Amino acid sequence: MSGDRQDDVAGTGVVLSGIDSPVVTATVRLVTPFVLTFGLFTAFHGTSSVGGGFQGGVVVAASIVLVLFSFGLDRTLRWLDTTAMTVLAVGGVLVFAGVAVAAIGFGGPYLDLSAYPVPKAVVYGVELIELGIGATVATAIVAMVVEVGRWGRR
Amino acid sequence: MIDVLVLTLLVLLAVSAIAVAAFRDPLAAVLAFGTYSLGMAMLWAVFRAIDVALTEAAVGAGVTTALFLVVVFRTTAVRASGFRSVGTVRARSAAVLAVVVGALLWTLPALPAVGDPGAPGFQRVAPEYVDRAPALGVDNVVTAILVAFRGFDTFGEVVVVFAAAVAVLVVFDREVVR
Repeated sequence: MSGDRQDDVAGTGVVLSGIDSPVVTATVRLVTPFVLTFGLFTAFHGTSSVGGGFQGGVVVAASIVLVLFSFGLDRTLRWLDTTAMTVLAVGGVLVFAGVAVAAIGFGGPYLDLSAYPVPKAVVYGVELIELGIGATVATAIVAMVVEVGRWGRR
Repeated sequence: MIDVLVLTLLVLLAVSAIAVAAFRDPLAAVLAFGTYSLGMAMLWAVFRAIDVALTEAAVGAGVTTALFLVVVFRTTAVRASGFRSVGTVRARSAAVLAVVVGALLWTLPALPAVGDPGAPGFQRVAPEYVDRAPALGVDNVVTAILVAFRGFDTFGEVVVVFAAAVAVLVVFDREVVR
């Protein structure tokens, strides 16, 4: 893997074309799964422990940005599914809006999570919303970094 | 009641904040800014604001630094100046700065102590939130405030984040088409 400079399409320098350092790539390989898991844990457990959708989302995004910096933009874009990212970004907003609006259908006011006829409705509602927030935040941040990085390169 | 850890972090923050302004090399300034954010995240953690610390570490020290780095590498051709190049500071600017900082420090004794439960900020809605959050089954009061009590604001925030991503995509696609 080292010495592979063919990703450096426009000669953009070190960042975004991959760092030719086995130390960096090996460290990122080792660290990223744990950072990603921690981010997902934070997003899933927003009601019972620290963090939530925003925190978990940005930690997940940071782990992908880490990969992007060490392996280069082109190699990262090869496995980054832009369709899935679009679905997650839009889906997060729609989940929040859906949970908020559907409460009206159960007789409560807008955003009243206790209106749902489910045990512990508020907890599950909050967790669902947190996951939506996490999906939108993570994909939005990754999309911004990727888009700024490949500006003018296509 | 200032312990050594907090004092060290405050010194780190002050030094890195001055470094951000003093370095002429954008790359050095960005790295100093990342250091500042990391110090800030550690300070939040010491003050037990873990939710803020997480966000500061991931967004401030991580993603923002990454974005600035990308922009620096995409806009500056050669980084010749290096870390040792520090801009000169005019005596008049330093004097104005000293007056402003002095005036701000003058107001410091009027602030309540860190974590003081009698602070005015904790008197109005905070007890209500703290009382009602466990009844909802949401143990993390921050999450309860964000989603359950202030869901309207939070929904707006998510839409803002989404809109920011859409705006970046639209603007940068424009640039390519031209």
